Amino acid sequence: MNRKFAITILYVLPIPVLILSLLIGSSVKVGIYDIYDLLFRPEYSSDLTRTIIFDIRLPRILLVFITGGMLALTGSVLQAVFRNPLVDPYVLGLSSGAAFGAALGIASHVIPVKLSAFIFGLVAVALSWFMARKNKEVSIVSLILAGIITNGIFTSLLTIVQIMSDPFKLQSIVHWIMGNFHNASWDQLSMIMLPVMAGCIIIFVLRWKLNVLALGDEEAASSGLNPNRLKIWVLLAATLAGSAVVAVSGIIGLYGLIIPHITRMLFGVDNRRTLIYNLLLGGSFLVIIDNFSRTMAGYEIPIGVFTMLVGAPFFIWLLKKSNIGWQQ
Amino acid sequence: MAAVKPIIEIKDLSFAYDGKTVLEDLSICIPENQFTVILGRNGSGKSTLLRLMAGLLPVHQGSILTKGKNLRTYTRRQRSGLLGFLPQKHKAVFPFSVDEVVLTGRAAHIKMVPSKEDRIKRDEAIEMLGIRHLRNRKYSELSGGEQQLVMIARALAQQPKMLLLDEPISHLDYNNQIDLLRLLKYLVSLGISIVAVLHDPNLALFYGDYFILLDHKRAEEADRSNVLNMQITDIIFSQNIRRIEHDGVQLFIPEK
Amino acid sequence: MRISNYIYLNCFSLCIVVLMVACKGNTAQEKQYTDIQVTDFRGQKLQLEQPAQKVVCLIESALSGIYMLGQQESVVGVPGDVYRGENWDRYADLDIRIKNKSLPTPGNWDFVSLEQVVGLEPDLVIIWSSQIQAIENIERFDIPVYAVMLHDIDDVFKEISDLGKLFGREERASELIGFTKAELGKLKQIQITKNRKTAYFMWAQGINETSGSNSMVESLFQLAGVKNACELPDEHVTINIEKLYDWDPDMIVMWYNEKLNPADVISNPLLKGLKAVQNENVYELPSAFECDFWTLKFLYSSQLVHFWAYGNTDMSSEPAADAMLQFLYNNNKTDE
Repeated sequence: MNRKFAITILYVLPIPVLILSLLIGSSVKVGIYDIYDLLFRPEYSSDLTRTIIFDIRLPRILLVFITGGMLALTGSVLQAVFRNPLVDPYVLGLSSGAAFGAALGIASHVIPVKLSAFIFGLVAVALSWFMARKNKEVSIVSLILAGIITNGIFTSLLTIVQIMSDPFKLQSIVHWIMGNFHNASWDQLSMIMLPVMAGCIIIFVLRWKLNVLALGDEEAASSGLNPNRLKIWVLLAATLAGSAVVAVSGIIGLYGLIIPHITRMLFGVDNRRTLIYNLLLGGSFLVIIDNFSRTMAGYEIPIGVFTMLVGAPFFIWLLKKSNIGWQQ
Repeated sequence: MAAVKPIIEIKDLSFAYDGKTVLEDLSICIPENQFTVILGRNGSGKSTLLRLMAGLLPVHQGSILTKGKNLRTYTRRQRSGLLGFLPQKHKAVFPFSVDEVVLTGRAAHIKMVPSKEDRIKRDEAIEMLGIRHLRNRKYSELSGGEQQLVMIARALAQQPKMLLLDEPISHLDYNNQIDLLRLLKYLVSLGISIVAVLHDPNLALFYGDYFILLDHKRAEEADRSNVLNMQITDIIFSQNIRRIEHDGVQLFIPEK
Repeated sequence: MRISNYIYLNCFSLCIVVLMVACKGNTAQEKQYTDIQVTDFRGQKLQLEQPAQKVVCLIESALSGIYMLGQQESVVGVPGDVYRGENWDRYADLDIRIKNKSLPTPGNWDFVSLEQVVGLEPDLVIIWSSQIQAIENIERFDIPVYAVMLHDIDDVFKEISDLGKLFGREERASELIGFTKAELGKLKQIQITKNRKTAYFMWAQGINETSGSNSMVESLFQLAGVKNACELPDEHVTINIEKLYDWDPDMIVMWYNEKLNPADVISNPLLKGLKAVQNENVYELPSAFECDFWTLKFLYSSQLVHFWAYGNTDMSSEPAADAMLQFLYNNNKTDE
């Protein structure tokens, strides 16, 4: 009963969050009255209000919502595939790989930005996986250590791209490694829609099979699944969606870890349902965080700062608490 | 050779891990509708043999015929209806409920999400093992014996002709060991062939119908009447083990 | 339950799509401005039909330029730096709104709040040209952007001359440029007679941070008649002390530094083998505001470095900034 109530709230939550976030902004010129005018008395409303609400706040809020949802979704998917509750796109190095790929794409003009982000996101995940693999087993902690190394490698490569490239082409490195949305636009939103949709559809189709994967490879194989092929599909889909959002947002650290855990605590582990919950909760929560990032100072504060500050203690707490700790 | 017709026929099977030979030129048969026990020392290749039979490891040399056909010629779905496999110890990472765990046994039949029929098959398996009271519990919070029952229910939800179990009782207390072996015996009576790796010779002899004895890459088979008279049995249970007879039953006990 | 999920999701994505379609239409509006034309540092042509009257300036040095042109009334947004440290005192003297902290700061360094910029309804935004994404976004709202990148003194002249055009203050701009060039000319005449000295520039981050040949520092040293000790091409570079011993400069010029002063550098045991340290030829530029060499104020830095290197036959004591500041900033009221 309690859980049903929570689920209802979750389904309704994005609506007020999105609407209220539209009312919040750093611009003093657009207040609640202007928005009232815009909605109910358009003849009194100014172009400026319209512009700020529809061309600045709305695309940004939607972009943040989708990014948050995708990070949480890919986080939970990666956790199921790797049977490791402590991974997310950031821990596995997917984020830094994709950020490097995106930067490389922008700087070199040789490969398209999205493709490059996707390829290097995939390379990063594969790298972490193979580094952690020993005797066909991947322990929870070794995967995290491998992820740290992968992160280091790609952050360094990103710095090299930054140093070598023309300052006219690249945005500051802080944009990438601390993630932020102040350049959000309709163009960015439509740019990520296709890979995000494609990734989501694949994951959605395979959502129940994630439950089988989460039990283990031999278990999945003996009940008639091909765990390796399934993993490849799921990883491709997760990397596609994950790298697309990273290419526009930069690295938003540990967010994909926090949300799936909260979802699991509130709504259980059945991936059939939790995928949607992750999407909704992840989206809404990041929009709330971004509201701070937009309005706390006159200028923008990178959103990754907030997620890391919340995420790091949470991660340590999980690591200590999990009895599936250090060996296997 | 067993009198009943074989469910698995292994011919000239060899297997090597990273260049190290584990099994060499094995030729054995597993009889249908019997409780077959694989005995052998640590590292003798029991788990490898079981995984080869389950199709979890590829056969490179020799052949394994399951119900007269090479395992590879079956589709994954057909294979899942043929045999179920239970690894030694299942590590639960996520707190899935028992219902959800058992349902995953139906994976081969499910395109996207489980149908009503799959849930019925799950419920049947749960009923069969009498674990209805565990249904909504979290798998990761169950005792070792209960977890083993859930995993068997999961395999039974596949509706297989045969169950392959790798050391199913090694993590259980003595009562649970006996309960589980009795359950396996009961499954045999329902027409499911059982192949299990066991270590305890007394329990093996008490419950097993047919025996595969593994030693040094070689294997021999025996039924209950002649297992005790075989040389390989003496080799497997050699050091510091003594045989005594009590009430007409042969027992293996430690040497004083 | 499941069916309602689908409906919900479908509605949600439908809403997004509808909103996207609805909002894409109203951005492109072609307008023809012809009266004022300027090419910015990206090579981008910029046209205004009347002098800029509401300007968001996100570069502190360019803001200085605007104040020199006497156009403070046109400024509606300033960079966050302006409210910090010494800058605040100086700009507070120039503009009561900065003193009261009432001028909004829609961005600092990289972090530009698009909403605030657009909300100020500017008719011109001045921003570093490296901010490609921000520029792209601002231009999407049909706001003209003047993008700046300064590599040498000529760029500073170009900037002030462009700003003069954009604000309709060309006369004042050429007056400023003329004054600066004339003052610089005096330095050049003196320097020919002397042997060129080498100087090492030390940024506020510490002795290892300097600038190479593609930098404003190089320009500054050339004007002052000294040779930059650092021969690397980089705009900003971190070197190790060994390299510094290779170069062994005649003098060390410190950027304005809150933590260190020349005495600290002279007493640094790591540096005691350097000629400049042994002869105590270590100097600190006295203020970030007065010496800001991304503005016409580079004149003062040049005078100082020149004086430190060669002395000055005309003056017995160090040159002062007062006259220059007087001309560059305060003089403009009489110009109306």
